[in-house]
Amino acid sequence: MAITDISHRRRFLAQGNVYLPHIAVIEKIIEETPGVRTLHFNFKDEKLREEFAFESGQFGEFSVFGIGEAPFCISSSPTRRDHLEFTVQRAGKVTNALHRLGVGAEIGFRGPYGNSFPLDQLQGKNLVFVGGGIGLAPLRSLIWNVIDNREQYQNIDIIYGARSPADLCFGYDLDAWDRDKTVNMVITVDRGDEGWTGRVGLVPHVLEQVAPATDNAVAIVCGPPIMIRFTFPALAKLGFTPEQMLTTLEKRMKCGIGKCGRCNIGNLYVCRDGPIFTYAQIKNFISSEY
Amino acid sequence: MEQRLRDEARALLEQGKVDYIVGFEPGSLKFTITPLITRDKEEVERLVINPFMVNNLANFLTELKGRVGIVAKGCDSRSIVSLIQDNKVAREDVVILGIPCPGIIDLNKVERLISKDRDELGDIIREGDKVVITADGKRSEFPITEVLYDNCLGCELPTPQEYDILLGEPTLPVTDNSTSQAKIEQLKGMSPQPRWEFWNNELSRCIRCYACRNVCPACFCQRCFVEETEPQWLMPVPRWQDNLMFQVIRNIHVAGRCTDCGECERACPVNIPLRSLTKEMYDIVSELFHFKAGMDKDAAPLMTHYEQEEAEDFIR
Amino acid sequence: MGLINNSKKVNKKDIGKLLSQWSEEFAVLVPSKENGVAMMARWDGTDTSFLDWYRNTVIPPKAHFLPPMEEMFRFQKDKGSYQLEQPASDGQKQLIFAIRPCDANALAILDKVFEDAYEDPYYLSRRKNKLLVGLGCTHPYDSCFCTSLGSSPSDAANVDLMLTDIGDEFLIEGVTDAGKQLIAQTSGLEEATEAEDARAKEVKEASYHKVTRRIDTGDIGSKLLSCFEDEDYWEKVAAKCISCGICTLLCPTCYCFDISDELVKQQGTRFRCWDSCAFPIYTKMPMENPREEKWRRVRQKVCHKYEFYPMNFGIIACTGCGRCIRLCPVNWDITQTLNSLPAKT
Repeated sequence: MAITDISHRRRFLAQGNVYLPHIAVIEKIIEETPGVRTLHFNFKDEKLREEFAFESGQFGEFSVFGIGEAPFCISSSPTRRDHLEFTVQRAGKVTNALHRLGVGAEIGFRGPYGNSFPLDQLQGKNLVFVGGGIGLAPLRSLIWNVIDNREQYQNIDIIYGARSPADLCFGYDLDAWDRDKTVNMVITVDRGDEGWTGRVGLVPHVLEQVAPATDNAVAIVCGPPIMIRFTFPALAKLGFTPEQMLTTLEKRMKCGIGKCGRCNIGNLYVCRDGPIFTYAQIKNFISSEY
Repeated sequence: MEQRLRDEARALLEQGKVDYIVGFEPGSLKFTITPLITRDKEEVERLVINPFMVNNLANFLTELKGRVGIVAKGCDSRSIVSLIQDNKVAREDVVILGIPCPGIIDLNKVERLISKDRDELGDIIREGDKVVITADGKRSEFPITEVLYDNCLGCELPTPQEYDILLGEPTLPVTDNSTSQAKIEQLKGMSPQPRWEFWNNELSRCIRCYACRNVCPACFCQRCFVEETEPQWLMPVPRWQDNLMFQVIRNIHVAGRCTDCGECERACPVNIPLRSLTKEMYDIVSELFHFKAGMDKDAAPLMTHYEQEEAEDFIR
Repeated sequence: MGLINNSKKVNKKDIGKLLSQWSEEFAVLVPSKENGVAMMARWDGTDTSFLDWYRNTVIPPKAHFLPPMEEMFRFQKDKGSYQLEQPASDGQKQLIFAIRPCDANALAILDKVFEDAYEDPYYLSRRKNKLLVGLGCTHPYDSCFCTSLGSSPSDAANVDLMLTDIGDEFLIEGVTDAGKQLIAQTSGLEEATEAEDARAKEVKEASYHKVTRRIDTGDIGSKLLSCFEDEDYWEKVAAKCISCGICTLLCPTCYCFDISDELVKQQGTRFRCWDSCAFPIYTKMPMENPREEKWRRVRQKVCHKYEFYPMNFGIIACTGCGRCIRLCPVNWDITQTLNSLPAKT
């Protein structure tokens, strides 16, 4: 049984030790919402800065030395390489520590780990992005990747929602995609506020209203687990097959390289065989564990 | 007594008085028992009563949802009462099948006496105040006090006071307090430095399996302090320093609720003498507060109760 | 495992001398008891009383390859900057004396995980430096079931040398090149006679039949797959489990670990330490825990060993050592569960 061969990704090991992080410096911080911030960073080592490469969907293990390490997807696109970005929601020890860092702070980075969105299978297709809350972060890497190579793809629909207007992340991207005539940007919130004049509705419901065509289409979904669990049936109702649905899963991770054991779904490890999976892969195997 | 237990358990399930029966059934290894947790009235035929019933079944009460018919030795019944005092279990939700307990046989002590492992022994039979052990066709006899658990030798309540059905005649404890307290007295006799080194050494073996915590009925926190990360009270790393702090804090947390059932020490896979800590805490509580856990269902729990007339004037 | 020609022997009384000789080149680890708890520990140079007890250790030898706690690296904080320092690798060669077949086979199972894709430098450097001297079991526990997993009490598949207890002596057979080389350069070993070779063969045969516990591993992966979603079944299976970590931490094939950091003033360490899928917070995330319920964790443990790991690596991740059965505080028995899986629907 072949394991995902990712031996070619060993090229970014620090001193030959896969567990040793590289040092990176925070260059810019964007407070997306009260609990979410995006950090822009670059490696301290010049050579690594030049050589480092990753693909949309991959993640890194980020360290706040002395506090711990946590996995976050690289939310910037490989087509825009003057810096790297990751987005953090405040939830526990490491994320709270990341929220206390300022520009110039040093962090650790190991990666890139995981598989990536299969661009070769997306080219020439109509793409439907469905995102919720901070789930837009991994999608964002792919969206900019696709937009920067626009002619290789057909229609682009982006359906994105959050709990409330204050929880919408990446406002600057949403504006840019809204202005982009080649992209159909649909924004919704679960609950509006006084100033909100836009759409109100849960993402899966809005998806059904938008009703993107399924012909030659691929849906890429990311959001809180509850949203994902309602979005798959909604897509199925529209006629998407399980192979036409991609998602990126999140699990508690430590090593990021398939050794510590904790992120498994059946025999698949989210860090090694994912985090990108088709619904067909997950559905056919262990549906009660994701 | 066994058949009566099975009949009572079956009746409780048939009459819908309980949702679960929790008792002991033969284990998969020699001289072992294992908890039986069942809703099935046929399965209660597997219930047994024997000198190897080690587990404190009260441990399962905080996990099972519904009414439970539970087999309880004296110490276990105290744990049940303690849980009732703590409001973790309602009295009307348990049917206590009390078992007067003459003491439980410690297989480690048997193994040391015979110099054989338990699966090499023929039989271990209690005959009154003696135990007869057969191995390789040879028969040896020992006073029962040489093979009972240390905490059984210091038993303060062999027969449950709080019960719904008592299976058997109330029994007198077979005590041997000096044996029961031997390890603790030895530690108390040490001066601080050697005693500190003793515990460093013992707790270096700890692998943080948390069996001691998980077998304990008094440890029912949904989230244990060791699992907290903000703040990180202890490192999850099995260093003797963190292991020692784990035991110290756990003992303080269960003070006033520990009934000296001895399960923590028995469950420890690396033979750390945990009862030397828990029993000492038990005695400190008894001395300072004149309180023993689980003796009186209507008493207030010790550490979480405040009276206007507090003994200590700093808190008045 | 057939006999290899040119086997040697050593009298049990001379084991001390043999180990002393080997101590010149290796750090020798032997079975040792501390407060009644058996584990492999550094030989003190004289005590060979471990020859008197013939059962397996409590703490498996995996503790010397994947230790309960291990420093991964240190870091120094200097204002806002960090300097990372890897631990110096201890290049000393070690010899583990009297490792049992189940524990040696377990290392082969761990190897697959730690070699796969990204090499784990810590485990692999420890693995490289070790020589394994196996000892066949003559008195399996009633909890042992190695014979159901393609092995036996005399299985030499993953050791460098194999010892067989033939009475007053041990028969010594070289298995790997490293083992044969060690034998060649060891003085004081006599040739075994034909009668002694035959005696060893008898002992091995007899020990196989002393293992009484058996499980049927035929089709076990698909049996588990077919009952995977049966919540009621797994709830019943898991009812008496208390979610401690004994079965997994002391299992020679379990390898789950946790990574944590500590910073004291300006010096810090990143540790890795044993962890267990039985613990409630093992898979806990801020918003949800996919294995909140105990039955899911028990299911994970059984299925990982007998279904998921074999799907990835081709062999069952269990060597039948029986520690999980005899050390479990509630006598939860995996062989009972495996032998009573519901029939495929």
